[in-house]
Amino acid sequence: MSEAPVVSEPRRRVLGALGEAGLETTRTVSSAYGVFVRTLYYLVRGRHEPGAIARQMYEIGNRSLVFVSLVMGFVGVILVYQGGIQTQRVLPDLSQLGATFLELLVRDLAPSLAALMVATRVGAGIAAELGSMAVTEQLDALRLSAADPVDYLVKPRFVASVVMLFVLTIVSGTVAYACGLVGAQVFFELSPRSFVDLSLVDAVYLGSGLAKCLAYGAAIPILSAHAGLTAQGGSNAVGAATTRAVVHSSLAVIALDFAISFGAHALFGDFSR
Amino acid sequence: MLDAESGALEQARSASEAPLRLAGRLALLLAAIARAVADGELDRRMLVKSLYETGVRSLPIVVLTALFTGGIMVVQAAPIVERYGAHGLLGWGAGFGTLREIGPLLTALMISGRVGANNTAELGTMVVTEQLDALRALAIDPVGFLVAPRFLAIVTTLLLATLFADALALVGAAYVGAALLGVDPTVFYSGLTSGLLGFGDVAHGLVKSLVFGGVIASSSCHYGLTTTGGAPGVGRSVNAAVVVSAAGVFLCDFFVSFLIA
Repeated sequence: MSEAPVVSEPRRRVLGALGEAGLETTRTVSSAYGVFVRTLYYLVRGRHEPGAIARQMYEIGNRSLVFVSLVMGFVGVILVYQGGIQTQRVLPDLSQLGATFLELLVRDLAPSLAALMVATRVGAGIAAELGSMAVTEQLDALRLSAADPVDYLVKPRFVASVVMLFVLTIVSGTVAYACGLVGAQVFFELSPRSFVDLSLVDAVYLGSGLAKCLAYGAAIPILSAHAGLTAQGGSNAVGAATTRAVVHSSLAVIALDFAISFGAHALFGDFSR
Repeated sequence: MLDAESGALEQARSASEAPLRLAGRLALLLAAIARAVADGELDRRMLVKSLYETGVRSLPIVVLTALFTGGIMVVQAAPIVERYGAHGLLGWGAGFGTLREIGPLLTALMISGRVGANNTAELGTMVVTEQLDALRALAIDPVGFLVAPRFLAIVTTLLLATLFADALALVGAAYVGAALLGVDPTVFYSGLTSGLLGFGDVAHGLVKSLVFGGVIASSSCHYGLTTTGGAPGVGRSVNAAVVVSAAGVFLCDFFVSFLIA
């Protein structure tokens, strides 16, 4: 005399999977948020160690510079080429190509693509390093010595990443623009004089680009460090932590990109014209 | 003086050799995989398992990425569309960007992060714990048993995921366009299908995704198989694999864009 279930079996399984994914996400976000709050606390009350921060800046910034600039250079050429070809289908002249490209770079592409590269390189690096420390019990040794790993390990990476993401974005964005300029001249015979056009960039666009830099620069080290700190097990765990770091940081970059772009357009869309 | 000079030369030489060396190793790995498949040494059961692991289990990430991508494309196209008052062209603008570049690229980066990194970590762990040697001792070819199924699974996954992500991103873009710009989704879809975009644009993206899949799969297998040095070694391998995959994806994007244009 069993009652017929309210929800059929396959539907229940789908709902179960969705619920599990939702719970898992909530748990990850809230425990990463804990790391973030502790990092902010130690920023104010923690140890002062400019040396560690400088080392991390070198590790995160200088050592990513070539990789990020190289990729962004290629991206600049491809985007100008694809954009130019498509624009030619609807508009007779390409005089706005340079200005529009710069606008897109400032508002979105330079910060977001640079951050995706940093999420891969730096995020994987942080998680692998902290994950190895976690599975070899070096973090426990730190805690035994009354040193919070967040203060010793996460804080310098956080500060370095926030600062260096601005630098990387500006440098690699410039490289992308320069490569796009060369591309425009080669493919569409646009003179550099008409390509370099700042007329479409305004304070709102610049502001939303810089806000993205700040948000990505903060999210990447926190999520990656969180993945590394929570690694448990053997060599399997380090690999799993690295994977989680890359996936979480990349997803965070894409989600923040959407949120900030949407917010900026909804709030300031009317003023920017 | 002379020593310093020859030291610098030596350093420059080894730095310029490294990418070539890597390309050579990847080519050898590809040849080994092709030979294993041609000889019928591909393990079918492992292939199905890999397809499930890489394909089905990546779906949530692909769905999330695609919906956000569509939204981002519209938000970025919005000021340009409003400037020209060309709301009918919104579908075209978001469409060509998604189909030709952003869809394949972002899907590849996410798959590289989830599947490629995971693959390196798994193979690397097997190498450090000498499980590959155990396979060889049992006369099982590790390439046919482990590497070839993973390679094929990653390439297939990325191709299908890109097709799926293209469609989802455009649906996401249509509704974000409706919410943000008040462009009716039907106007958006007619902008997509009005003749400015064709199957060529979809195919352009799919060819790219095949190449990206090959890059991600071969580099992640290569770094997994050459892991040394315990748990930190696995971390280093994963790190190297994701960096090489990401750089390789963008470089190939550049060359494929021109080759098939």
